[in-house]
Amino acid sequence: MKSVRIWFKKDYECRYISHLDLNRCMLRALHKSKIPVWHTEGFNPHPFATFPLPLSLGFRGVNECMDVKLEDDNYSFKEIISNLNACLPRGIQVFDVTEPVMKAGKIAFAEFSIKLNCENTNTTVIAEKLSSFLVLDKIEIEKKSKRGLKTVDIKQGIKSYKIEEKFDFVLLNVVLSAGSSDNVNPNLLVSAFENYSALNVESDITRIDLYNSEMELFR
Amino acid sequence: MVNKEVEKLLLKVQKPGRYVGGELNEVIKDKNSVDVRFAFCFPDTYEVGMSHLGMKILYSQFNKEDYIWCERVFAPWIDMEEEMIKHNIPLYALESGDPVSDFDFIGFTLQYELSFTNMLNMLKLSNVPIKSADRKELKQIVVAGGPCACNPEPIADFVDIFFIGEGEEVDLEVINLFRECRKEGKSKAEFLQLCSHIEGVYVPSLYDVSYNDDGTIKSFEPKDDAPAVIHKRLIKDMNTCFYPDNFVVPLVEIVHDRAVQEIFRGCIRGCRFCQAGFIYRPVREKSPETINAQCKALCENTGYDEVSLSSLSSSDYSQIVPLLEKLNEWSKDEKVSISLPSLRVDGFTDDIMNKIKTVRKSGLTFAPEAGSQRMRDVINKNVREEELLATCATAFEGGWTTVKLYFMIGLPTETIEDVEAIAKLGQAVVDTYYKCPNKPKGKSVRVTVSASSFVPKPFTPFQWEPQDTIPDLHEKQVHIKESITTKKIQFNYHDADTSYLEAVFARGDRKLCKVMELACERGFHFDGWNDCFSLEKWLELFDECGIDPAFYANRRRSFDEILPWDHIDYGVTKDYLIKECKKAYENTTTPHCRLKCNNCGAAKYGEGVCFEKRKNLV
Repeated sequence: MKSVRIWFKKDYECRYISHLDLNRCMLRALHKSKIPVWHTEGFNPHPFATFPLPLSLGFRGVNECMDVKLEDDNYSFKEIISNLNACLPRGIQVFDVTEPVMKAGKIAFAEFSIKLNCENTNTTVIAEKLSSFLVLDKIEIEKKSKRGLKTVDIKQGIKSYKIEEKFDFVLLNVVLSAGSSDNVNPNLLVSAFENYSALNVESDITRIDLYNSEMELFR
Repeated sequence: MVNKEVEKLLLKVQKPGRYVGGELNEVIKDKNSVDVRFAFCFPDTYEVGMSHLGMKILYSQFNKEDYIWCERVFAPWIDMEEEMIKHNIPLYALESGDPVSDFDFIGFTLQYELSFTNMLNMLKLSNVPIKSADRKELKQIVVAGGPCACNPEPIADFVDIFFIGEGEEVDLEVINLFRECRKEGKSKAEFLQLCSHIEGVYVPSLYDVSYNDDGTIKSFEPKDDAPAVIHKRLIKDMNTCFYPDNFVVPLVEIVHDRAVQEIFRGCIRGCRFCQAGFIYRPVREKSPETINAQCKALCENTGYDEVSLSSLSSSDYSQIVPLLEKLNEWSKDEKVSISLPSLRVDGFTDDIMNKIKTVRKSGLTFAPEAGSQRMRDVINKNVREEELLATCATAFEGGWTTVKLYFMIGLPTETIEDVEAIAKLGQAVVDTYYKCPNKPKGKSVRVTVSASSFVPKPFTPFQWEPQDTIPDLHEKQVHIKESITTKKIQFNYHDADTSYLEAVFARGDRKLCKVMELACERGFHFDGWNDCFSLEKWLELFDECGIDPAFYANRRRSFDEILPWDHIDYGVTKDYLIKECKKAYENTTTPHCRLKCNNCGAAKYGEGVCFEKRKNLV
């Protein structure tokens, strides 16, 4: 038995499905593809798959991954890619299979590219407001948790960023804390910016990469 | 395909995955290389509509034809509808993202009466005129089929063509005729007139109805050479009939998220309240070989690990055990589980139980429908209390601890004792559990008793019956609740208000069209959902239109009254229904089709159970 990490993109129509739906979709594709993955042994046997870091509904993901266990150690990675892609909707496409280097728990940061635009406001204004927003000492925002609303400061969770002004949008590239503790959802950052700037922004968010605490690429 | 404008709304609404398409196995064609575009609309949410087998069959079948592109359309949930209206985005089809108004056919499947308003609302959201007479060109032809098309009169003003009976053949004949008519430059009127001669097609605009002073129908007259009686269409050979080897596999979870395999059509039983039991006659089975091959293909092409065998009463399939054996040969290795819904109380044998247990232990549901034996005889359920208790004992010994029991209240001739018997039967099932020597150790039993309200339906022996009034139904619900003394029984009941509206629409006539039109204008939608339904608002509408809903719901019709659906023929004769209705009042049962032919009229199709050799004759 061998653990493998399956890398895929989540885009187009599939960016609008939740993590639970993605999970279901992957299990069905694994089942259909007949790739020899290990199944759980309970009352309802199903392929065993885990996702190192789930992606929120609405985000695109270009370097997403899922871990499964292969029952046949010699099953080729190339075959996994082609067999799985034949069973997946066009919005989810596998592009690589590797042997995992890091454990899922090592994930500490995630890099996002966020396209921002706003009707009736030109990009220069947005970019300026964004720069002054990101240098604030504190970035407070109300966050919904199981125990109701609470105010959190997400400033500490912003590791680095870069602002670029494009033709009809502003591109914010940002590295945020990620993982099971101290996760910062980029939607929170966008809402905080909306509160600060009093602008009604449209955002298009893509998760680019995951990193460990040393800012090494998650592999 | 999602267009840019829609994309802006998606993150503002619940479950946006419902509005984007892009699923595995969806059919994409080049719109410029097809002759006919068909928008297949399900007048409810994506999750409900995508669970519907009929839509899957016709979607695949239409798309198999090179000249047709059939796409799916569902009713947007209220949050999405609001956003679409606010941003001026018309209703669109999932595959192409094109507006529904671009389509040649706009087809609806009518599964329940309370979806009528959704149908009209979907036309409105598409900016398509809701009234047939206001759509003058040979495009945007609104067609409808499904069980509610058996009494199409309450929506006769809106639909151009109704398909009566099973759609696999007639739908394609109509689409093909449309293609020819367009090539020849014919008008919509000419097309409809030609259509009316295809068997199974009902064009309501070709008929005039007049009424008596008391509101009943005086006459129903065809014009322009349209047939006086519309006969249903029926598939004769289920083995050669088209069945998809592939389903669109949704990205988001739907109500029935599994492969579905039809095993037969019709039902041998003839329970007197059940419309499906009459309009789908006669019973026609698929062979175990056909079912096995179709099941396997479906699972392989979709990746589903569960397949449900679908019919009105699975245990009545004549070769159920050999079929399950065949399926079990491969299903275990493929890690596919087989589920068998619609089991009859008397059909749950050890043999069947062991074969479905190999996979997944889902809950068990039985429908005794009535509490007392007298009442079950009235409705011709043909299930005895001993049978139910024996079946429950079998299930408990097999390890089950939860049982759901479905009942109806408000049935003809029902007394308060009959109602009380529902609670007693629930108690008897609980007692059976504790008497079982081999019951699961250390576990308690849970019996769910659900009571829905009886809605008299066209083409059943109870089509002349009044429905209980809402206060009567409430009283009966309370009585059951108070008669249950144990916490091991959970009692649910269905809202009487929705059943009342359902009863009005089910046996309505064309006078209701103006109510429907006004309902659409006022933005009524999702009447089948508690979130939206308000009987109060409906009563205001009826009042405004000068219509008494009790005339439709609570009135006893006489056997010689012309009923709004009398011009439609589903094979079962009116005389037979009258005979069955009289037998109900004598507490007399009728044996099922395999025991004895009762001459209902369905034998005229020359197929199915009517021509099976009966065991007692061999």
